[in-house]
Amino acid sequence: MYSDLIQSLPNVIAWANIAALVIGVLAGIVVGAMPGLSATMAISVLVPFTFGLEPLVALGLMAGIYNGAMYGGAIPAVLLRIPGTPAAVATTFDGYPMAQQGKGGYALQVAVVSSAFGGMASAIALMLLAPPLSRVTLLFGPAEVFWVAVFGLCSIIFLLGGNVTKGLISACFGVFVSVVGSDPIFGNDRYTFGQLELLDGIHIVILLVGLYALPPVIDLLESPLKTENSAGDRLGTEPIWRTFPQMLRFWKTWIRSALIGIWIGILPGAGGSMAAFMSYNEARRSSKTPETWGNGEPEGVAASETANNADTAAALIPALTLGIPGTAVAAIMLGGLLIHGLQPGPMLFRNNPDIVFGFMWQFLFGAILLVFLGGSLATNSFAKLLKLPRPLLGSVIIILMLIGVYSIHGRMFDVYLMLGFGAIGYVMDKLRFPLPPVVLGLILGGFAEENLRLALRIGRGNWMVLFQNVTSLILVALTVAVVVGPMVKHRLIDKKKAESKG
Amino acid sequence: MKKTFIAALVAASTLTVPALAEYPDKPIRIVVGYSAGGGTDVMARAVAQFFEKALGNGASVVVKNMPGAGGQIGFTEVASADPDGYTLGTFNLPAALALTYDRKADYDASSFTYLANFVKDPNTVVVSKESGFETLEQLVEAAKAQPGSVTMGLSALGGNDHFSANMIADATGVEFTLVPFKGASMARTALMGQHVAAGTMTLSQTVSFQDELRVLAVLSDERSTFRPDVPTAKELGYDVQMSSLRGIVAPAGLPAEIEEKLRKALIDVNAMEDFQSMMAKQGNPISFIAGEEFEATAKQQDGVARSIWEKTPWK
Repeated sequence: MYSDLIQSLPNVIAWANIAALVIGVLAGIVVGAMPGLSATMAISVLVPFTFGLEPLVALGLMAGIYNGAMYGGAIPAVLLRIPGTPAAVATTFDGYPMAQQGKGGYALQVAVVSSAFGGMASAIALMLLAPPLSRVTLLFGPAEVFWVAVFGLCSIIFLLGGNVTKGLISACFGVFVSVVGSDPIFGNDRYTFGQLELLDGIHIVILLVGLYALPPVIDLLESPLKTENSAGDRLGTEPIWRTFPQMLRFWKTWIRSALIGIWIGILPGAGGSMAAFMSYNEARRSSKTPETWGNGEPEGVAASETANNADTAAALIPALTLGIPGTAVAAIMLGGLLIHGLQPGPMLFRNNPDIVFGFMWQFLFGAILLVFLGGSLATNSFAKLLKLPRPLLGSVIIILMLIGVYSIHGRMFDVYLMLGFGAIGYVMDKLRFPLPPVVLGLILGGFAEENLRLALRIGRGNWMVLFQNVTSLILVALTVAVVVGPMVKHRLIDKKKAESKG
Repeated sequence: MKKTFIAALVAASTLTVPALAEYPDKPIRIVVGYSAGGGTDVMARAVAQFFEKALGNGASVVVKNMPGAGGQIGFTEVASADPDGYTLGTFNLPAALALTYDRKADYDASSFTYLANFVKDPNTVVVSKESGFETLEQLVEAAKAQPGSVTMGLSALGGNDHFSANMIADATGVEFTLVPFKGASMARTALMGQHVAAGTMTLSQTVSFQDELRVLAVLSDERSTFRPDVPTAKELGYDVQMSSLRGIVAPAGLPAEIEEKLRKALIDVNAMEDFQSMMAKQGNPISFIAGEEFEATAKQQDGVARSIWEKTPWK
């Protein structure tokens, strides 16, 4: 089962693939460091451009960006208390106080080493878990896939945190978008208004670029960021080989946070930011000196940064084996695979083992590269990069978006569609509607409908076909747990509060 | 690329010369209604490469992908293009004509000049090796014993997979439950996981899965050279023939001399050994027919689609 893994290794070491990975990691760190730009956005803008590239080169770029961005977010989080990506919020808690104490350099070193550790653990989890899982997934028929999709939708609505009603509305919008086009069974037109371009439904990359890239770019142009107070001038950096031994005492936190990150990554719905928060809280709870947390405890940076990188490759486990992405980034990566004619699912491991296993190696190497690229040499200069003129940056991204979306099918219709979604995304952003449920609503909604109808056809209209085996029942139980769990928890907390008051 | 550039230059500098005299004097495009990398696209690119040689005189042939709406966007583009010989297209039977029945289309069987068909990939009746069905007869018996209990996975409704299932059901007098998946590979995965009992995918879809799938019959008039061990349905007593055809068409109303020139060039393409070996390597079973014979096949396929639509409309 794992022999393909070894056989794919020579391919990955080809210089073009390594170069792609290096460029990806560097670009990822830059994108992650720019407040407002996220890995999701960078990869969705990139995907249409990768069509002419070899699959592994394209995937290497994506893997590199993903890993790089998860660390890059820590740079402004530490130096400016502005999380570069949502997943770096927990990094600000202790990273910024450290920078104020003149230990910003050390904080970033802890961040980069922890990120690399998390990324490597995640890649290894992907390597070990995905191949055996891909064999089992043949057992997932339409009924089971339907439940996986329902479970994913419920978890993104209820586990994302924040307002459940808004999450639900976002998800419903995504599901509605999934309905556009010809229906999956009979091919009846739905909401196409006679446009042939809409008959195949709305391409995920068009929606992603519109939702994830346009609003932050408008934001970028709207609000010039003040960076004068950057703590970056007094980093107090020591060479990383000297500080590394001091970090070894974090080993427990590293392992715990990596496991949390991997677990959150596999679960559909939740993403890097939730992994970072959970692992920060767990690490503080088990710390002997919880009072130092929030006042510049390096272990807090380690906890948050390990977990948000440990989420990366693990998020691809359900995506590659079942074809069901759990996060927005995994969804675009699947889009990237599809553009290269690689159909995710059990057949991927059989038909294209060199590519799918090469992709896993790239995640591992990307994480290792992080130490060298993000580590000692770059940190100082990256802090200065935040002072890049933002209007310039914004216009470059807009041009890339327009060209990229046009090139998917070679038609302007898609560009207008993307701009429309951009406008919707901007309004949603301002009204604080979460965006991930829209993306997963589009993908999982489509999956749920198609597979429900297939299952009912197989069962000749008998709904019991959905509850016929153990796998289905387990998935139903998980779904119920995700929906009811938080409510019960809230109830209990309220009760406790009431009791302690009384 | 350079060739294209020179051809364009030549075309630009000789605008006063009547175009017909030296057709082709600019690049010929082959419109493919599917994404790059798919079966039809791969065929179009192979044909384009050898087409340039066959036409000679530095002719340039470019492939343009216009994916969408199950190929309809591409087919419509070809049907509505000027019949000047500079726009050709790939043509998939029966899909291209079947979709004129189940939705509004701006073309029909008479909108095209039929140049040549290259690929003929026969449908099959196929089951999982673990299913316990060893012969077509056993499958038919099971369906007879409990009508509708045998599920049949298809790549879609309104295509050759669907028509195959319909025709087999008619010929054997049993009822199958049709389950249209989203594409052939989804249908195959479901078959391998035994979520459906049988399938009608084309033979080329089964060749790299001989350990998992058992092909019970191939729906063609003679056995395939790829799988000579598999009997035809005809041998088993059911005269059912259905396959996926891929060829090259032009808009209707093409000038006779251009039509003649293109058809001759395509016949030359088919005769080239390199082309044949390339197609074989891609797993594309060739069955070359040109001109009137191709047109007759298209009309016949159109009739099959119409009669199935009239008897059992699928939407």
